[in-house]
Amino acid sequence: MRILVCVKQVPDNEGTIDINDTGTWITCGGAFRMNRFDEFALEEAVRIGEEIPDTGIEAVSVGPGRVVSTLRKALERGAAAGTHILVEEERYASPFETASLIASYAEAGHYDLIIAGVMAEDDMHCQVGQMIAAILKIRCATSVIHRGTIRNGTSVYIEREIEEGQRLCMEVALPAVLTVQSGINRPRYPSLSNILRAKDQKIRTIDANDLWKGDGRDRLISMRRPEVSAKGIFLEGGKDEKARALIKILHERALI
Amino acid sequence: MMKEKIAIIAELYRGRFTRATHEVISFARELGSAGARLEIIIPGKNIRGLAEEIARTSGIDVIGIEAEALDLYSAEPFRSAILDILKDMNPAYVCLPHSAMGFDLAPGLAVDLGAACITAVDEVREDEKGIYFLKSMWGGKMRAELVPMTQRVVLTVLPGAWTISVEESDLAGSVRVVKAKLAFEASEVTLMEAPGERESELPGADVIVSAGRGIGKEENLGMIRKLAGIFSRGAVGASRSVCDLGWLGYKHQIGFTGRTVSPGLYIACGISGAIQHISGMKDSQMVIAINIDPHAPIFGIADYCIVEDLTEFIPALLDLMERGDPSIFS
Repeated sequence: MRILVCVKQVPDNEGTIDINDTGTWITCGGAFRMNRFDEFALEEAVRIGEEIPDTGIEAVSVGPGRVVSTLRKALERGAAAGTHILVEEERYASPFETASLIASYAEAGHYDLIIAGVMAEDDMHCQVGQMIAAILKIRCATSVIHRGTIRNGTSVYIEREIEEGQRLCMEVALPAVLTVQSGINRPRYPSLSNILRAKDQKIRTIDANDLWKGDGRDRLISMRRPEVSAKGIFLEGGKDEKARALIKILHERALI
Repeated sequence: MMKEKIAIIAELYRGRFTRATHEVISFARELGSAGARLEIIIPGKNIRGLAEEIARTSGIDVIGIEAEALDLYSAEPFRSAILDILKDMNPAYVCLPHSAMGFDLAPGLAVDLGAACITAVDEVREDEKGIYFLKSMWGGKMRAELVPMTQRVVLTVLPGAWTISVEESDLAGSVRVVKAKLAFEASEVTLMEAPGERESELPGADVIVSAGRGIGKEENLGMIRKLAGIFSRGAVGASRSVCDLGWLGYKHQIGFTGRTVSPGLYIACGISGAIQHISGMKDSQMVIAINIDPHAPIFGIADYCIVEDLTEFIPALLDLMERGDPSIFS
């Protein structure tokens, strides 16, 4: 079984980001880390590897040089190889552009499964996995909250999380793209042996221009902080005064 | 010039239109207010009655596509059936709810149609140069304005961002129901309830005290439970991240993928107010937010805002409540 896991690097803390000079993306003054949803994706791939012998797990990430550190984390967490698709600039990348690059890379790899997080925590799009599947003309299921047995390497049972605490259950023919929801598993800490192995392992870099030349289909033209137009009342004073004021409000509304 | 067309993809759940579908109709009316022609597409198994109902109440023309395989949602038959209709219709915009169906379907449709795809749209802006779509990024800490670079655009609309129009139309829209030509015989999808869902206390609660990542550590859940216990029909809720950490089960989760609640009182403790959470609780009658960050988006929808470290504030509050000192009410 060949598995490709798509990982995105995002700022570690929303508090360290600022709007860039042109107002069309952000700058980050702090550290970066792996998108949390992609940690679940990677863990799911590792679990499949534990169930099925001879499974090869490869991680891929699109972005500037800094994303190599996230690929190394993916190696520590159990990926056997890492590929960096290099896009030099720090800018907004349209999901179509990211998907086109990964699909172009994945085409020759004949992966049985491509797994990604359901969403990127930064741009919150929920698009790249579905677009990769559409470009490669393979199946796709999003928001996967449970994965069952993989039958003879030809299909996989999954449950998709939908609204109101319900799930849709289905068998998906392989090859396929799955985007996983947080909570599908509990990601484990990397083992010491994997950390040591990952330390010196080479990460392959491919220039984005060598994979796909095209344009994104949408452009981010401005970025701003939302106006938190508080319609509500900020309680004043120290914590005891605030607590007293709150009790009074709850009492007046007959809530206590 | 021919009028631009806007296609609305309706979503059904247990034989009814979802609330999000009605919200997408409101969105499409705003988007097309300059004179575009709207059409609703309903994929489903047996939808003539629903098609007639929505054509009558909305006044919008409706195309129903029927097939056995369109009973419960799965990507392939739905995408194939909808694409067939869209190829003839040739709309400038295709609008879906940003639901588990909508975001599953939209990006693939966009690839097939050569369209831009913009998801979780919560605002539209128009000027002489064009139409811009706005959405939240970084859990609501930033707002981005996106512009499509293509003739066609597929959009998903964030649930809760538009209100449902109650106005009924005088003139019913036309109804056309076609049989989908599909390679799929029947739906191979089943619906099930998530484990633990039935024990959820959230639906019957008058007061919900919810914990977010800002509670810091699992041990602090004790004070959240205690606060919920003060109220006669109180329950403990949680943001998704608290459930993901395993501090509380998913039956406590409130928000976009969890439960939608509207209790008399909602107390958000250490919840930043990401749009996914807010969409699940914004109809609560009264919201109290406790957060150490004065810029937390949750304060944008709270009636009473308390900027405090909750690990100090909640014990102080519980202490005063337990003392039962009548002077505190004066």
